[in-house]
Amino acid sequence: MTPEEIRPSRLRWWWLAAALAALAGAGLLSILLGAVDLDAGSVLRSIVDRLPFVHFDSGLTDRQEAILWELRMPRVVLGGIVGSMLAVAGGAYQGSFRNPLADPYLLGAAAGAGLGATIAIVYGPSVSAIPVDPLPLFAFIGGVGGVAATYAIGYSVRAGRTPVTLILAGVAVASFLTAVQTYLQQRNADTLREVYGWILGRLSTVGWSEVWLVLPYVLIASIILLLGARRLDVLSVGDEEAVTLGVEPSRVRFLMVIAATLGTAAVVAVSGLIGFVGIIVPHMIRIVFGSSYRVVLPLSIVLGAAFLILADLLARTVAAPAEVPIGVVTAFFGAPFFAIVLRSSRGLGS
Amino acid sequence: MTGALTLDRVGVRFNGSPILRSVDLEVGRGEWVGIIGPNGAGKTTLLRAVTGAFEFAGTVSISGTPTSSMKRGAIARSVALVPQHPVLPSGMRVVDYVLLGRTPHLRPVTGPSFHDLDVIATILDALTLSAFTDRDITTLSGGELQRAVIARALAQESPILLLDEPTTALDVGRQQDVLELVDRLRRERDLTVVSAMHDLTIAAQFPDRLVMLAGGEVVASGGAADVLDPTLIRKHYGAEVRVIDDGAGGIVIVPVRSQERISDSTN
Repeated sequence: MTPEEIRPSRLRWWWLAAALAALAGAGLLSILLGAVDLDAGSVLRSIVDRLPFVHFDSGLTDRQEAILWELRMPRVVLGGIVGSMLAVAGGAYQGSFRNPLADPYLLGAAAGAGLGATIAIVYGPSVSAIPVDPLPLFAFIGGVGGVAATYAIGYSVRAGRTPVTLILAGVAVASFLTAVQTYLQQRNADTLREVYGWILGRLSTVGWSEVWLVLPYVLIASIILLLGARRLDVLSVGDEEAVTLGVEPSRVRFLMVIAATLGTAAVVAVSGLIGFVGIIVPHMIRIVFGSSYRVVLPLSIVLGAAFLILADLLARTVAAPAEVPIGVVTAFFGAPFFAIVLRSSRGLGS
Repeated sequence: MTGALTLDRVGVRFNGSPILRSVDLEVGRGEWVGIIGPNGAGKTTLLRAVTGAFEFAGTVSISGTPTSSMKRGAIARSVALVPQHPVLPSGMRVVDYVLLGRTPHLRPVTGPSFHDLDVIATILDALTLSAFTDRDITTLSGGELQRAVIARALAQESPILLLDEPTTALDVGRQQDVLELVDRLRRERDLTVVSAMHDLTIAAQFPDRLVMLAGGEVVASGGAADVLDPTLIRKHYGAEVRVIDDGAGGIVIVPVRSQERISDSTN
């Protein structure tokens, strides 16, 4: 064989192009549709008009411009960012723990964030003296704290410590935090609806502040995860063999989990708990494009965004004028779609 | 002269119980040493200690340098291990699997270079794996798979090759294929080989020298004719064997049923 004939798995440019096209399509569709339908041509003109040195008359009224730029657009962008982060973090967790069901939610991130958010909502009025909205802050601290507790317990196990130990520790921590959260929620029934709404996930946002809040975390976390993709491929032969290939598994796992957790906690803080994205998106990519993390992680970023933007479009429109919680949509439409892809594929092997 | 691989009083404990006790071993450059011994003797542990997989007492030195002072990547560029039961990631193609062996040579950010692909191409040809590059690693037959795992180890381009019972799951023809391949590669690439071995007759044929481990200690060392002694085998394997000259300069180890055991089973 010649070196040219050696074709290792890697991200093909046309896969990426197709994924980006899907994302652009999902984004445009989601911008156009809603309580007020906008005209595609006008929206495109308005977008081009925002570019530097270009001036176009979009033909939109001031009210339509406001809907486009202060409601639809930030919501679509936020949905894309949240979807990207949840999907790539799920993929990285699955690689780190060599477990197809791993997901940052499993290690206490969701339960911790839920408790933090509940505390912020229940005791919110008394902490309203601080100038920032306490909810995202508390949810973020709770999410990171939940995973930190899981790690502390998992690593205090001395004998027979395996990646599964950490997942079991996560189950224990999540159960405990959920118990505390439920207690607080029941004690303060007047805020039940608000807490419940947050837990089911929501992307209702006005303006761009949430986007700027989470973007730095998501960018940094995504870069770290993408740089670690090749190491995750090495971990797929197990810790014992990874060591003989010159890789320190615990170090790789720690770095990947930290990055994925921080990113997840940041997006959960503004979006609430949107389940299933971190499992479903990386798996569908594996089925279609192969299991190398050098393919799965970058495509998860693009297709995770597209997936959540479409889920949010459904959440806004299926029961209009009411909104369905987006976490309900990702599960209700995502799960059957996943089942169909799974059935029609030749399977993931054993 | 410093050997390619030196073990100096190497001891390993797992959960307090000793697995290896003060093992000394010197392997010369280009030499093939076979490690034999009953199940649980510490063969796998000895090989894994050489890769620096866990803490141990004593010193393992590669060309005179203690592995304790080497980074993981440097050890991986010096020693490659073919595990007995390799973990096979489902959905991974053979070419990607073999490419994992280049990991200690890759820079953190960039992918494999032209040189890396060239190394892989040469190895896939040498191990007649060219037709299998796009196959899922989990769909290979036993002999094909063993060649793929050896290919991954060779991709590390390490001067020392460790093989943990490389022929256990193979039929007799594939056993010979794999061991002849190892012998050929050893000569072509000037490799030092240490292999844990299960079948004593095969162990007598390929390595230059045998070391028998039992209870975590070296109990015999030397040429096949010296180490494969019926008394030693009875003592450490608890087996009755007859060592027969095969008439062509080799020896054959034949298990025999003792009179005592036969009378037990007929009662």
